[in-house]
Amino acid sequence: MNNVIECNDLTHFYGEKLVFENLNFQVKEGSILGLLGKNGTGKTTAFNILNGFLQPRGGKCFIFGEDTQHLSPKTKARIGFLIEGHIQYSFMNIHQIEKFYSGFYPNWKPAAYWELISKLNVSPGQKISTMSCGQRSQVALGLILAQDPDLLILDDFSMGLDPGYRRLFIDYLREYAKAENKTIFTTSHIIQDMERLIDDLLIIDFNRVLVQSSVNEFLGNFRRYDFVLENEEADLKRKHFILNIERVKNKVELYTYSTESDVKKYLTDNKILFSNFRQVNMGLEDAFIGLTGKY
Amino acid sequence: MMWKSVFYKEWLKIRWFWLGYTTMAIFVILYLFLTVKHSFAFTGGKNTWNNILFLGNQFFSPLKFVPLAGGLAVALAQYFPETVNKRIKLTLHLPIKDNKVLLLMHSFGGACLMISYILTCGLFAGFGLVYFPVQIVTSCMISIFPWFLAGLTGYFLIALIVLEPNWKFRIYYSLIGGFFLSIYLKSPVLAGYSHANSGLFILTALVSVVFLFSAYRFKKGEV
Repeated sequence: MNNVIECNDLTHFYGEKLVFENLNFQVKEGSILGLLGKNGTGKTTAFNILNGFLQPRGGKCFIFGEDTQHLSPKTKARIGFLIEGHIQYSFMNIHQIEKFYSGFYPNWKPAAYWELISKLNVSPGQKISTMSCGQRSQVALGLILAQDPDLLILDDFSMGLDPGYRRLFIDYLREYAKAENKTIFTTSHIIQDMERLIDDLLIIDFNRVLVQSSVNEFLGNFRRYDFVLENEEADLKRKHFILNIERVKNKVELYTYSTESDVKKYLTDNKILFSNFRQVNMGLEDAFIGLTGKY
Repeated sequence: MMWKSVFYKEWLKIRWFWLGYTTMAIFVILYLFLTVKHSFAFTGGKNTWNNILFLGNQFFSPLKFVPLAGGLAVALAQYFPETVNKRIKLTLHLPIKDNKVLLLMHSFGGACLMISYILTCGLFAGFGLVYFPVQIVTSCMISIFPWFLAGLTGYFLIALIVLEPNWKFRIYYSLIGGFFLSIYLKSPVLAGYSHANSGLFILTALVSVVFLFSAYRFKKGEV
């Protein structure tokens, strides 16, 4: 399978502050990949570099084999881009904006746009500036669907949406992407939304990639063990296989890729007395917080 | 087709500002010549001529800042919406070369201003010939020409300032732009700019593309 997006040794600083260094990732054709990371880890920076709105200090990104700093009009036509907050030309109404964009794309599919708009309680003359954030999200999505791009880059598609609109957005998008074999690269601060939408994930932390795999593989291998320490003063030393420990008094949550027996062996070998040991099933949000920490 | 869409978007942004400005400019021309008519009727032709030719009281001086106001209004209407929430990203993502789409936008705004200016100058010359000989009207046109160039230059400079992503640079550009514009707006001595107009025209032509530098800085991610 071809890589639609490929970023090699991506490095960027804001002034002296390092955002990421030697970041490498790929997005395969037909996959839906979610970029996850805490605030300030460089998600929007990565999106800006991908769209050619920021020149990285080092490394390169390629979309359909073209350097993202110099995308040709032909390649840009293959990319649907959703700006954080569903930003569109708010001085236009929903008829005008469809007319405007249709002039740029030879394969424009007005039916896809109007089908989505028909679900909204708006008139064709309604200005985008007077719409709710949820309605604007549908306009932005409808425009992308009418463009019929091969790659969709969606920056924080959940922002400002109520649960109903989020669900509508995700379900519509996933069905479209799977039916038409589209590739999606996206991010959202609401992890439950990502879980519903994405197949693969890329989790970045400050300066590095923590995980790049399928969601199922990650959730299958990454584990959380809860137990109670008999001695509240017991010192749980970080070992390489322990990725995170969240501790409130003597209650411990331990996150790792290791098996239950390995963790128990570690505790026993270090003479750490414990009780109520159990593995806890996690959703993507729990796993994300478990991996990156609460702070 | 793409240029039509670009022009359509620009028209939607500027149409009311452009129409408002053009209407205002027409009213200013009407006001100027009503004043001339009034002067001829109540103070007599001799005094009116004396005022213009020897006392330096130019009847067209209220027109001085009108073209500049038009340039600033059209530029703000056109470029400010592009910077709110960094909407310029939408424009730069269109399947058309970055410089080409920007130059199309700029050409459209500039052309709309030119239409207003040509209309204004036409009315000025037409009404002028009713009251004055062609030599006086020509001298008046030479005097007001830099003001229209100032309008175009103001339009170009506002594009540079508004698209610039860094506030510090915006302030620098504003200061330099203010100095630039002052060159065009010296006292209206009749035909006083006759030797400078060609130079000012070249200066305006040079300033017309500087906004591409702000767009380039935006694309590089300068903050």
